[in-house]
Amino acid sequence: MPLLSRFLTAFLLLASAGCSLAPFKTEPPAPPPRTSSGSGPVIAEPPSVTSTMPAEPTVQAPPPSMPVPRERPKVAPATLSPASSALVNLSQSQRKKGDLPGAATSLDRALRIEPSNPLIWIEMGRLRMDQRNFAQAEAMGRKALSMAVGDSRTQASAWQLIADSLRARGKNPQAQEAMDKAKELSER
Amino acid sequence: MARRKLKPALRRKLQRGFAILALLGLLAVIVLVAVLDRRVTQQFEGRRWTLPARVYAQPLELYVGQDLSSVRFAEALTRLGYIQRTPVDRPGTYRRKGETVEVYVREFRFSDDKQAAQKLKLSFDGDVVTALTNASGTDVPVYRLDPVLIGSIFPIHGEDRIIVSPAEVPALLPEALKAVEDRKFDTHHGVNPLAILRALFVNVRAGQVEQGGSTLTQQLVKSYFLDSRRTIRRKVEEAIMAFILESRFEKADIMNAYINEIYLGQDGRRAVHGFGLASQFYFGKPLSELNLPEIALMVAIVRGPSYYDPRRHQERVLERRNLVLKVLAEQGVVKPAEAERAMKAPLGITDTAHRSANYFPAFLDLVRRQLREDYPEQALTETGLTVFSTLDPLLQEKAEDALSDELERQDKGSRKAARGLEGSVVVTTPQTGEVVAIVGGRRASFDGFNRALDMKRPIGSLAKPMVYLAALQSGSYTPASVVMDEPVELKLENGDLWKPNNYDRKIHGQVTLLRALTQSYNLATVNLGMDVGLGAIAKTYVQLGLDEAPPKYPSIMLGTAQLNPVEVAQMYNTLANGGFRSPLRAVRAVIDEHGKALKAPELEVTEAAPAEAVYTLDRMLIEVFERGTARPAKRSLPPNLVVAGKTGTSNDYRDSWFAGFSGGHLIVVWMGHDDNAPTGLTGTTGALQAWTRLMSSITTTSFEPLMPEEVEDRWIEYYSGLETSPYCSGSAVSMPFEVGTVLNPSLSCPPGITPEEGALMQPLPPDVPTEDGVAVPPAATEPSANLP
Repeated sequence: MPLLSRFLTAFLLLASAGCSLAPFKTEPPAPPPRTSSGSGPVIAEPPSVTSTMPAEPTVQAPPPSMPVPRERPKVAPATLSPASSALVNLSQSQRKKGDLPGAATSLDRALRIEPSNPLIWIEMGRLRMDQRNFAQAEAMGRKALSMAVGDSRTQASAWQLIADSLRARGKNPQAQEAMDKAKELSER
Repeated sequence: MARRKLKPALRRKLQRGFAILALLGLLAVIVLVAVLDRRVTQQFEGRRWTLPARVYAQPLELYVGQDLSSVRFAEALTRLGYIQRTPVDRPGTYRRKGETVEVYVREFRFSDDKQAAQKLKLSFDGDVVTALTNASGTDVPVYRLDPVLIGSIFPIHGEDRIIVSPAEVPALLPEALKAVEDRKFDTHHGVNPLAILRALFVNVRAGQVEQGGSTLTQQLVKSYFLDSRRTIRRKVEEAIMAFILESRFEKADIMNAYINEIYLGQDGRRAVHGFGLASQFYFGKPLSELNLPEIALMVAIVRGPSYYDPRRHQERVLERRNLVLKVLAEQGVVKPAEAERAMKAPLGITDTAHRSANYFPAFLDLVRRQLREDYPEQALTETGLTVFSTLDPLLQEKAEDALSDELERQDKGSRKAARGLEGSVVVTTPQTGEVVAIVGGRRASFDGFNRALDMKRPIGSLAKPMVYLAALQSGSYTPASVVMDEPVELKLENGDLWKPNNYDRKIHGQVTLLRALTQSYNLATVNLGMDVGLGAIAKTYVQLGLDEAPPKYPSIMLGTAQLNPVEVAQMYNTLANGGFRSPLRAVRAVIDEHGKALKAPELEVTEAAPAEAVYTLDRMLIEVFERGTARPAKRSLPPNLVVAGKTGTSNDYRDSWFAGFSGGHLIVVWMGHDDNAPTGLTGTTGALQAWTRLMSSITTTSFEPLMPEEVEDRWIEYYSGLETSPYCSGSAVSMPFEVGTVLNPSLSCPPGITPEEGALMQPLPPDVPTEDGVAVPPAATEPSANLP
């Protein structure tokens, strides 16, 4: 009989393993703005990144950006698409519950949808702070900065993250510097 | 009297003798039963814990704005075994009507959450999802489809299975098994003497062994010990063990064990056990979704998975399936009309092509290697882990097609040396460093030599960007800097004198860095590299993600370092990721059988190279497509897609490489012969062709990194590096420079010229596109890769 009960327990465990977790909760249905694509930073001016120079330019060619402006064009603050916004919210609630692996999965999903959105990288950095992986928290902040050129609001929160990660490692002078940058950027 | 006295004594003696004998016999039986009991009970209880880790692909994410058409969505559903039907009333079904799709998504336990089965409605507008709602019409922001199962990690020649709980088993299956295999299952005690007698009778009449009288319990026991010898002793042991199982366990548990245990087919070197895996193996969908003819087919296979292999003996199997259906009707398990209808159904087996489309041994190989860093082998093959990988099944299939199409084209081409080539493809998503596809050879579903990981080959001119990165990082060079493309002699480490050549055997004199890289000039690169220093060049390999720097030989400038395609992908991924290095990963999450998250490689980024230098190098690599060795690919790519990359060809055309990236994907392609024979192909005429096929067949984005803050765009002349105006020269090209860089102005066409003035000037002809340069020194510094 103990054999039987052991077997039954094992069997029940197996059968219930598939349904012991809380059901998937979607965020309260915020009406998503269907019309706007909302994918990532909206750039005020097309970036002159790619050389789409025709091989033989003619006078009809659109005037290139000359002389090159020293001040980089201001860029509207980055925003999250409805899908990645839902995933970032989900990851935040997972973090609050202490489910850090779950939060990482949700952010992985968001990054798959919008890999160039600096806000998701900042979230990833915040998660690394919770995981006490401060070096990676800073690296995520720097990655976010590389995607937030001209977007002072996002830059400010990336510097804030970097400052926090530095302070957590006892690098107070550098943390102060990063804080100052964050402050200066948020006042722009 | 004497007789009377003796008699009881003898009787007592005899009685004692018999008693001892009986006792001994009983003892022997008890010992035998105890031994068998131990064996069979342990097996029965322990069996459920030896489960190979299951590996899943990335799930398809559904959300408004997703780049997905209704047709492609329906294809993805079909791949997962979803059935198109009306009404959409149970998990695993869908209906596509024009631009809307209703789908009943299956329940699935992801690494973070169990997603319940749910009915969804999607609207499409061409290539984009415009609405995603649930059954009550509420918007759903994002939802995952259940992912494709791409394989499991089982020991060599091992068994594989997908364990199913009774709830996942269609009620019809146990009933059908009983009706066909063991009608007295519910009442017998493990053996069915009547059935054995009947079987004996049938066999004697037929003169050979045709029908087994084994109960399901006996079959289960037989399967446990994998011994199909038909000796009397085996039979007796089997019968005793069946009896023991029956007395110890409930019928329902025995039935469930049977359903998960029994052998149902062979897939290469893995044995398909249990109806859960067999359902995936034969029908490409979960057991719970099988219909009557499909269940009947599975029951038909039980009798002889090889003799009744539905992929090899279709008619024989069809006949037996219909016999099963007939029996089911006779036994009252199904209505005769139902059975009649089911008999008309085709076998419904997924063909081998489709099956292998979900079988990716080269990718699985990388998953296994990455998991071995954290888990002992036994944990992977026995403890029932679930592994969530980064594989994109659709992209994987396209990568396989792109490579095999190109190899077939070469087979039919005029170059004899390029026939029968092998190849390998690696695809990553640069920002996150996830490996989304790996092709290990021409026959992608063949689990053999994995060229993406096990083959190291000289990378040829793929090494040049490392020279130029070292130059840009040094601060002494810009894309406009002039270097000498002129003969150079170097003393090699073995004392030989090395005199590299350009591919076109010409000397181009003063060339800009930009031109030297895009045209892959060997002499200019060597002259530049000698000035920058071999130490600095070797260091870039580590910066970009190689574990070890190559030896500091001059020949590394032209690509004698031997790398495998995954290593190349790791290095170029850092270039595609703005100088951020992310260790490539094939696994996102691992959970144990209770759903608990276990250790898995995490997303990591490290600022490995200065953003300005990498950005500048990347812009130069874009020009490889505009003016350089990859220009022939331009016409085959989508017109507005911006991509960057580099060709590579090793000595004597033995290896043809291309590594290049868009905004969303990095693709590395290698083509060559396993025996290292010359291919007659350059990077341009070989690997670039397969690369272009793949890049133009996938959904991706342009490579448009943000310009770093300390950098600005200036117009220079491609040939001279002088600052110019875009209005007067066909060779004007916009390149990034550190703010404040001093550039000499062009005399004939200085920067400030107006469009009108520019129109009066004769444009210079564009550079003649060349093929990739080959000039690796004859005495290779390392022995060539010897392949099996």
